[in-house]
Order: sequence, then C-alpha cells, then structure tokens
Amino acid sequence: MKLLPLFFIELVAFLLIIAETYVFFIFVVPLGPIPHTLTEYTSFALLNVVLILALGGVWFLVLDELTNLYVRSRIGSSPRPSS
Amino acid sequence: MVPWPVQGGLLLLAFLAPFALLMLAFPAFLRYLTRISFVSEDAHKKPPSKVPEPAGPLLFVSILVGELIVAAGYGSAVPLAVITGAGIAFAVGLADDIYVLGGKTKPLLLLLAGLGFVAFVALTPDLYRPVLTFPLLGDTSPHFIIYTALAIIAFPVVTNAFNMMDAFNGEISWFTLLTSLALTVGAVLHEFATSAFSVARVASVLPLVAVSAGFLLYNRYPARAFDGDSGSLMFGAMFAGLAISCGVEVAAMIAIVPAILNSFYTLSSVRGFVERRKMSSRPTFIGEDGLLHASTEKAAPNTLVRLVLLASPLSEKDLVKSIVALVAVACAFSVAISFLTWVF
Repeated sequence: MKLLPLFFIELVAFLLIIAETYVFFIFVVPLGPIPHTLTEYTSFALLNVVLILALGGVWFLVLDELTNLYVRSRIGSSPRPSS
Repeated sequence: MVPWPVQGGLLLLAFLAPFALLMLAFPAFLRYLTRISFVSEDAHKKPPSKVPEPAGPLLFVSILVGELIVAAGYGSAVPLAVITGAGIAFAVGLADDIYVLGGKTKPLLLLLAGLGFVAFVALTPDLYRPVLTFPLLGDTSPHFIIYTALAIIAFPVVTNAFNMMDAFNGEISWFTLLTSLALTVGAVLHEFATSAFSVARVASVLPLVAVSAGFLLYNRYPARAFDGDSGSLMFGAMFAGLAISCGVEVAAMIAIVPAILNSFYTLSSVRGFVERRKMSSRPTFIGEDGLLHASTEKAAPNTLVRLVLLASPLSEKDLVKSIVALVAVACAFSVAISFLTWVF
C-alpha cells in the first residue's frame, strides 16, 4: 500500500509515453506538405524538433510536479533525521 | 528454411548454452577476480563486505556464445547486429570499470553502440522496420531517417537507464530478467502475428533471459558478484537492440518505465549528467538501525530508491523487493500492450 503513489506515478508515465509517442509519429512527423526546397525542408525539420521538445517538456513537467508533490508530502508527514 | 524440430532444438540451445556456460565458469571467474584484487565494497552492508567485480566479461562471453549459436543455426545476421551494439557498450563499460569515465563521456561513447547496431542495415536491410506499432491503432507510416536517428539515441538512453538500476544486491539482475521476459512475450506474439517475421529474432532474446537468470543466482542478496558497468551497459544495449530488431519498441519502453523514471528523477534533480560517484549529496544512508533511510536533505538527488525509502526505511532485501514489484507492474503493462498490439 505504501508503494501506491509510486504505482500511480508509473501509470502516468506509462500513459504519457504511449500518448506522446503516438502524437509524435502520427501528427508531428508527417506535418506540413512534402518539402520541395531546402528552406522548406529545414523549416519543417526545425518545426519537428521544436514540437518534439515541447512533447518532452510536457512529460518532464508533469512527472516533475507529481514527484515533487510526493516528496513534499512524504517529508512533511514523517520527519526523520537527515544523513 | 530450417525444419521446425531443428528450430525448436535451436531455441532450447539458445537458452541452455549461455546458461550452462555461465553456471560452469562463474565460480572459477569469481576466484580469478578475487585473486587479482578486482573486488568492490558492498557499501550497503555494515560492516561493508568485499564482492568480486566486474562479472561483465563473463556475462558478455556467455551472451556472445548464445547469439553466435542463433546466428549460425538460423543463418541470420540479426543476432550479430545485436551483439555488436552490446559488445561496444560492454567495451565502454569495461573502460569505465577500470578507469572511471566522465558523466558526459559515457553517453557520448555509447552512441557508438547505436551506430554499430544500425550499421548492420547495410548487410540486413530488414534488421528493423522504421515504424512503431501501437496497440489497437496499428503501424505508423515508415520514416527511415527519423526512426534510425531515434534508434541510435535509444542506446545511450537505455544503457544508462539500466546502469542506474544497478545499485543494490539483485536489482539489475531482477530488472534485466523481468524486462527480458516481457520482451520475449512481445517477440513471440509478434512472431505469431506476422508471417514475414523470423523465429531467429525470438531466439536472439533467449541468451539475455538465460544470462540474467543465471546472474541472478550470484547477484541476489547477499550478492556474491557484481556485474560492473560492463555488465549493466551490455544488458541495456542488448535490450535496446532486441526491442528494435523484434519490432516491439512500444512494449519494451513500457517495461523499463521504472528505469526511465529513475534516470529522469536523477537528471531533473541534479540538473544534468553527473557521474554518481561525484554527486555532492547521497540520496540514501544507512541508519543506526541498520536499515536504509531516504535522505531528507534538499540537495539530495531524487532517485527511485529515495522515493521508495521516503515511504518507510527498509532493509536492502526489502528495498529490492519493492523495486522488483514496481518493475513487475511495468512488465505486466508491457505484456498487456503486446497482447493489445499483436492479438486483438
């Protein structure tokens, strides 16, 4: 039972990985028309990179927030001597 | 086409040969490591005991034998690609075991493992399909360049994730065994669902299962052997190569979620790649009661172990049990994903 919050964080990480990988390959990668010039190709490649970073950022922020919440609640509820 | 009875025999041999080699050679190899003073302190014991390290070279040779049997038996280059990536990661790990590489040098060198693996596409164009297959939704459209780039990057990410799950007695061996079993289920289901898929790919997973099972007998609490970075990085590279070549990337990613979270916690709390031996503050400590406690210092890095110990102080044995429970749940998710992808 003590591990329940960690199982929940694991579940959130699992669902986010599935959802974000799907969004990346289905929506982000094929984004835009087929590029004909180097400028178009570069613009779409950069847009892809920015969107990938944004997806990674969402995963990072959600997990970071959940983890900090867990750490704060545990440290707050059971103070113990530090090392 | 190899006849079915021979294929069955080869599957058995792919498991038994590396397992038997490891079991037969382990006692002598551990004596040899002790004789040449390759021993490490088991830091979580009071007083610290000395344990032979690294067992990585023997683990690698055992897996190599298994993969060569699969390659020769089925006439497939896939096991050679997988063992090439693993071999490079093993070499990087061995260099780290002996000289201690920097926190940034190691991930950069591990990109070579990914490059070594994908270079085999020139020899075997069907080494991997540049698509991801999602449960219920099916395949994405193929994107060779993007997929290949991600495959190369996956090697340092996965190997480091495995490496960071190697802190306590039995942790890395349990983790590798459970995740490789989940990978095997995915590979087998993929084999039955796809007519063009080769049984050699399923067979190439078995040496990893066999060696991690054999290693568990020596690495479980109280450990009689540590794998060293040469072992953990090699396990990670094997896992990454097999997941890609078997086309079960999504299920594989899910199985190692606890390790991904562990890497993420460390990276996010220390803000970058830092060699664990150089961290300024420890995430855990051994209390007067002999139990492992989570550090409550603000500067302490957030590892998975610290989060588990924040719930309550535990003995090393019980801590590993808790981590195995988290890994087992992730592997159950992974198996469910494999069924949803290949059966329904």
